[in-house]
Amino acid sequence: MTDTVLIVDDSLTVRMDLVEAFDAAGFQPLPCATVAEAREAILQGPISVIVLDVLLPDGDGVDLLKELRASPAGASAAILMLSTEAEVKDRVRGLQTGADEYVGKPYDTGYVVAKARELIRARQAVHGAGQPTVLVIDDSVTFREELRRALETAGYTVFLSSSGEDGLRVAADRRPNAVIVDGILPGIDGASVIRRLRLDAALRGVPCVLLTGSEDKGAQLQALDAGADAFVQKGEDVDFILARLAAVLRTTSAAPAEDATSLLGPKKILAVDDSLTYLEELGSALRGEGYDVVPARSGEEALELLAVQPVDCILLDLLMPGLSGQETCRRIKSAPIVRDIPLIMLTAMEDRAAMIDGLSAGADDYISKSGEFEVLKARVRAQIRRKQFEDENRRIREELLRRAREAAEARAAREFAETRAALVEELERKNNELEAFSYSVSHDLRAPLRSIDGFSQALLEDYATLLDQKGKDYLRRVRAAAQRMGELIDDLLQLSRVGRAELNRDRVSLSDLARAVAMELRKMEPDRHVELRIEDGLVAQADSQLIRVALDNLLGNAWKFTAKVAEPRVEFAAEPRDGGTVYFVRDNGAGFDMNYAEKLFRPFQRLHGEAEFPGTGIGLATVQRIVDRHGGRIWAEGTIGCGATFYFTLPPGRTGGRS
Amino acid sequence: MIRSRIILLVEDNPDDVELTLRAFEKSNLVNKIIVTRDGEEALDYLFARGPHSGRDPALMPEVVLLDLKLPKVDGLEVLRRMRADERTRRLPVVVLTSSSEEKDVLGSYDLGANSFVRKPVDFRQFMDAAKHLGLYWLVLNEPPPG
Repeated sequence: MTDTVLIVDDSLTVRMDLVEAFDAAGFQPLPCATVAEAREAILQGPISVIVLDVLLPDGDGVDLLKELRASPAGASAAILMLSTEAEVKDRVRGLQTGADEYVGKPYDTGYVVAKARELIRARQAVHGAGQPTVLVIDDSVTFREELRRALETAGYTVFLSSSGEDGLRVAADRRPNAVIVDGILPGIDGASVIRRLRLDAALRGVPCVLLTGSEDKGAQLQALDAGADAFVQKGEDVDFILARLAAVLRTTSAAPAEDATSLLGPKKILAVDDSLTYLEELGSALRGEGYDVVPARSGEEALELLAVQPVDCILLDLLMPGLSGQETCRRIKSAPIVRDIPLIMLTAMEDRAAMIDGLSAGADDYISKSGEFEVLKARVRAQIRRKQFEDENRRIREELLRRAREAAEARAAREFAETRAALVEELERKNNELEAFSYSVSHDLRAPLRSIDGFSQALLEDYATLLDQKGKDYLRRVRAAAQRMGELIDDLLQLSRVGRAELNRDRVSLSDLARAVAMELRKMEPDRHVELRIEDGLVAQADSQLIRVALDNLLGNAWKFTAKVAEPRVEFAAEPRDGGTVYFVRDNGAGFDMNYAEKLFRPFQRLHGEAEFPGTGIGLATVQRIVDRHGGRIWAEGTIGCGATFYFTLPPGRTGGRS
Repeated sequence: MIRSRIILLVEDNPDDVELTLRAFEKSNLVNKIIVTRDGEEALDYLFARGPHSGRDPALMPEVVLLDLKLPKVDGLEVLRRMRADERTRRLPVVVLTSSSEEKDVLGSYDLGANSFVRKPVDFRQFMDAAKHLGLYWLVLNEPPPG
């Protein structure tokens, strides 16, 4: 698919220049002179890239940019601002408004095209990979076209290039899945192209097929030595080339380094100098090398720019009014995001002290200013390359660390899972044991009790005449003890059951449950007259069976301990406290000594004699366990002879969980 | 149909047997109570085989009082086999047990028990239950036609 480039500029020269450059690069250029034309053009169809001038006859480019970013068509396009506005604030404004790139005029067409390609590729990478892409570098138009047709038929997306130099650039921008390169080319030859690709961190994994007309074994060896993955003679059938291509694509399983920036890709340099003349000279020299140069007139401007504009290298004048080069350098090198950008210090002086100052502030290199830019260019290249290698090393290190960390995490997770499984198994085993134990307790311990009670009763009924009062009393005691032990067994089983039972939370009306309990209590002792007050509308997220057991115990206790007061009162109600609800059961019965409040909830702990108030001492332990299971809290307040109040909470917790 | 007036008690604990028989006696129900001591014997009796092959297979008990914990074949298994056989499919079964474990109660009803009575430690309670059962199954309840 051909990418459409919308070129919005009022200068005819710029339009023609860019139309020609993009056309040659295989784009579909769409020139516009005004904001109105641009608006019209955007409605016509999908646009991949928009090159946008800032000063337009009928409006402001940055305003149009804002408008574009808000529209569906403009939001997906890559937008490149192109402006004569040398002012730093314009650049900052453009980038902040949503431009992907800001290029100052004069510009290098090669840079603009390369940047456009890179932006498109970055956008496509986000939207997932499509067909495999192949770059064909050959100076013969006929052969290029023949190969393109064959490749496209086979389902590849093809990029074409007619020279090694251009091919490298296209490779850097498009990141093809494979490269087919002719051995003999007008500029640098095919072997050199491959060698340079192999030097680039981002491209070294791309499989390369070298084509040549020669049958010379030496040329083949030389090519393979340069790092070609396959070697095909140009005389071979095109199908043969396709087969080799498919083979090398299959064997290179390594995914391309997605986030790596290519050494051969378009580079941006920030030049900071207070002399406009020098900036212009420097700019034109570097642009000739294909760099885009962002000028800044002071340290302050440079820092402001760096906040919004990523660059690949910084050239910084040491002697500037305002913020000095040294201070600017120090600030750049202390900012985490930009401190890794190579920084070359410039000065007019052949000054050893100045050089040391610059380097001590963190500069990566140091060079004397002169009209001769060759050394500077070489240093810039070297610094960018160094940064590239450092980045790659760091990436490799991070990758290794990441793998090691992942392996460690996986191991830890596995160990954790194993330990957990073992614990769960152990817990289940213990639970089953406990279950079996309680089951046999409930069966086997009760059977003899039944005999003791049953035969005592039989004696009392059938042989009453043979027994005197004392004998009958003994038998009654035997029965009472057997029955009490039966109750103890029942209560213990219940305590054990409430700890093990699954918690089934649901909306429960506590008022209804309490009323049901009260009704049973009245039925069991119809002669007692207790004033029972139960608040209406008490609702909780809780297990109704367990709550019923808790209320049985709490209300049963209140009922029991009010047996000896003149006007017994029992109340079940709730009150808000600390953002939650506190339920309570209050009575005016026997009460208890607060010094023993802690002991109340322990199994078998009783604060009253059996003769005074019968009981097993397990009920409150059961209630506490039930409240615990719901994640709630229980506590009691009381005074001897004045009654007791049992408070509890039932926080609305996770459903079904075991606490 | 002629009513057999037979109650089959399946119980291995001799004390429980004795006390149950006494309870029925006390409740003045004129019934014949057959006692079997394990699940296998109970099934032999019901299907008139083995030591019970001499009895009239057409004469089925009115009700089976079935303990769950039994030697050899346990109570739930006896119930399962009874419900699987055409001859005993509709025979009323009352499960008697010491436990009130949920799984026993649910398991009994799932397998088609007609009633579930927990043997109380207080024998008077048990006698009440037995009385109630006897009255219900032997006096008030119309056995299924068959």
